[in-house]
Amino acid sequence: MNTRYLPANLVIGAILVVLTLGVALLSVFWTPYDYTQLDIVHKFQGPSAAHWLGTDQLGRDLLSQLMAGAGNSMAVAVTAVVLGGSIGTALGLLASAYGGWVEDIVMRLSDLSFAFPALLFAIMLAAAFGPSLPNVVVAIAFINVPIFARVARASANQIWTREYVFAARAAGLGKFAISRDHILPNIAAPIIVQATIEFALAILIEAALSYLGLGAQPPSPSWGRMLSEAQTLMYLAPQLAIYPGLSIVVAVLGFGLLGDGLRDVTDPRLSRER
Amino acid sequence: MIELKNLSVTLGAAAAVRDASLSIQAGDRLGVVGESGCGKSMLALSMMGMVPDALAVSGQITLNGTAMPPRDETAWRPHRARSMAMIFQEPMAALNPLRRIGDTVMEPMRVHLGLSREDAIKRTLDLFAETGIRDPELRLRQYPHQLSGGQRQRVLIALALACDPALLIADEPTTALDANVSLRITDLLVRLSRQRNMALVLISHDLGAVARATKDILVMYGGDIVERGPTAAVLAHPAHPYTKGLLGARPRIEQAAGKRRHLPTIPGSVPGLFDLPKGCRFSGRCSVEMPHCARSKPENVNTEQGQAACHQLKEGHNGG
Amino acid sequence: MRRENLPQMHGAVRMGYFIFRRLVGFVLTLLAVSVVVFLAMNVLPGDPALNILGIESSEDARAALREQLGLDEPAVFRYFQWIFNAVQGDFGVSYSYGVPVSELIVERIPMTLSLAFSGMVLTTVVALVMGITAASHHKKTGDWVVMLLSQLGVAIPAFWLSMLLVLLFAVKLRWLPPGGFAGWDDPLAAMRSLVLPTVSLALVQSAVLARVTRSSALEVIRHDFVRTARASGFSRQRVLWRHVLPNALIPIVTIVGLQFAALVSGTIVIENVFYLPGLGRLIFQSISNRDLFTVQALVMMFAVIVVSANFLVDIAYVLIDPRLKARTE
Repeated sequence: MNTRYLPANLVIGAILVVLTLGVALLSVFWTPYDYTQLDIVHKFQGPSAAHWLGTDQLGRDLLSQLMAGAGNSMAVAVTAVVLGGSIGTALGLLASAYGGWVEDIVMRLSDLSFAFPALLFAIMLAAAFGPSLPNVVVAIAFINVPIFARVARASANQIWTREYVFAARAAGLGKFAISRDHILPNIAAPIIVQATIEFALAILIEAALSYLGLGAQPPSPSWGRMLSEAQTLMYLAPQLAIYPGLSIVVAVLGFGLLGDGLRDVTDPRLSRER
Repeated sequence: MIELKNLSVTLGAAAAVRDASLSIQAGDRLGVVGESGCGKSMLALSMMGMVPDALAVSGQITLNGTAMPPRDETAWRPHRARSMAMIFQEPMAALNPLRRIGDTVMEPMRVHLGLSREDAIKRTLDLFAETGIRDPELRLRQYPHQLSGGQRQRVLIALALACDPALLIADEPTTALDANVSLRITDLLVRLSRQRNMALVLISHDLGAVARATKDILVMYGGDIVERGPTAAVLAHPAHPYTKGLLGARPRIEQAAGKRRHLPTIPGSVPGLFDLPKGCRFSGRCSVEMPHCARSKPENVNTEQGQAACHQLKEGHNGG
Repeated sequence: MRRENLPQMHGAVRMGYFIFRRLVGFVLTLLAVSVVVFLAMNVLPGDPALNILGIESSEDARAALREQLGLDEPAVFRYFQWIFNAVQGDFGVSYSYGVPVSELIVERIPMTLSLAFSGMVLTTVVALVMGITAASHHKKTGDWVVMLLSQLGVAIPAFWLSMLLVLLFAVKLRWLPPGGFAGWDDPLAAMRSLVLPTVSLALVQSAVLARVTRSSALEVIRHDFVRTARASGFSRQRVLWRHVLPNALIPIVTIVGLQFAALVSGTIVIENVFYLPGLGRLIFQSISNRDLFTVQALVMMFAVIVVSANFLVDIAYVLIDPRLKARTE
């Protein structure tokens, strides 16, 4: 891989990601209309100068809803991946630093959590605590913990054999200090790559859970929930089912491509393009 | 039977094989020697129509009187295994690890000759006997990892013989094997070639094996065929400085034959494909180099033993 | 003959020991999973009776329900009771349906499993064809098209794809039903109603698997034995499917195992998109009915399916690769 040229997936991914994050950020401060504002007279409108993407069954502006949905989706994905990623990375570093039974326990626990697909875990939480967006965050964070623990442990194990780590140990630094000062900065690249890819998956899971009614509750805007409302109106207004789905695809595609591109650049060995 | 005329295999400006011509008839036993990276394997692959896609092939390949497009799979495929077959350097890597030995050897018979399973088993057992594979019945059901290196190479030979090829190309067949095992494999190849009147191309950097097994020899350096002739004569009286270098200070090859010999070192190492001199490939390492050697490509000159491509010989020839 | 049988006997014993060890691990995992499920649904929320009856219920009603459901017993006791009964196939009586939960599961499980299996078969077929095609056209147009499609496929939510398929095939073309299930009595109608759900499930998953197949096949294509097969004059297709693919299977099977888990949980979504009466639909109806113990049994059921799939993958490795068989101690 010639690093002078940025791979196409990295560039396209970055553009889509910036677009998605930009819209999400913008929606916090400004949307064309209040997305909750009903306007029954102007329901099911097609695209117009006033409503660029038209209106839904209650006359709400579609573009505003999509923008607010982006905000919601990104917030959930960021929180969940950062939460799960930090805990997982910390556990992975711990396992790598101390080895022995600490490592065994961490790895067995991460094996165990593979038995629960995110959806199943979210269903469990929804049944026990009632459906809510925080449950979705917890469920996505939970399934991210073992993933990051594995990546962090595998990468950290390699760094522990490096000479500068031996030097630090010889200088009397403790395992915690070494993990923080030497190991963590050096495993940042694979962790960030993984985070980007998990971010894409988090958007998909949030959408699915909200679609099923386990995530964002009305009137909180969400791409997934917009789609579940659109489904009941499929014969009447099929266009309502198009935009939220496209938004999900753009966001997921962006983060997925960005993750692949980052991986190609940071670690050609793992690259899928041989 | 197979004829190459002005064959070149190139990667951009670099030539892995340059202007090679040769002809092989039934019963021929031809040795191809040279250091690794000199184009021996590419020459062999071009005789199978299997030069990697990244490389360009030019020149003519004629098989049983038919001109073969160098890269047309549909033209070559019917000839593989039947007109010519090939065995490779690493017998472990060359065998599919997930297939039983029997199934591997039977596959070409069943696909190409349409043999029933029973007939294929019978034929495979015959081939196992012919190639000296012990416990043939057991081998049928074993996997490659359960065999020794020498037995694996015999299996590969049996596989190559499955459809009675007229030509067997052996690319460094003994390099990965122990000395005495490699000796027996070499002898097996010679025996098979004699018994079946099958042409044999033995590619090796083991001069001892080539001296023992072949009637004629090609010496390659940097993609060029630098010398050719009857094996015994060329090795006894090498004409090209590179061949001399290969033989080093020990010219009595007959005596050494049978013992594994490593090539004596020639000063320097084979340059990379892209760093080869334009003219004589050997210039830069040659002990009798002349100023124009690096610029102009030497032509083939008839020698007492055969042919060699060297400016020194040309000058000497003209002068005398 | 005797000489041949002997090593095979040893092999069989080794195999048996290997499978036994995996089986122990499998049972231990299931026990651990059951503890997690029980804790998450029965202990962490505090009072299950409050959960079932809702916040508006009276304390008396809750106390009565607690007694009826045996919730006054200590949690550890209730856990063992749950496991002890579950092993015997008794998951208790559904609070909302008034019939044993096991009956509900037996009634609904054919739908979920047939959806998951047909989805898996379609996924594998599509992915292998796409992946092998891409690998054999490495760095040419075919490769790029497949990679582009799979990149896109990974990004499409299965439930949105379902909606698009319904829009096209049910709303516009009217070829297939938009949802619902006609029952198994009319096999043709049953299959027709399963076409769109299966395709929705499989297309997204096959995008993932196609990429794995491609890179695994590219890895294998470089091996010498592929050159041997070509030198034997076999056709390109034969070399790819008979020689390359079997050797590329180990990573593929690993992903298939993980994907079966994704497919099973995917059925939960798809059954709700298409209103199919399977376990996934049941779990949602039970959540809205606040039928806690039915949900608990179903979550456990899904986890069992997922863990079993991973267990079977472990066993499958040994069957695929004779070299691993030799290494199973």
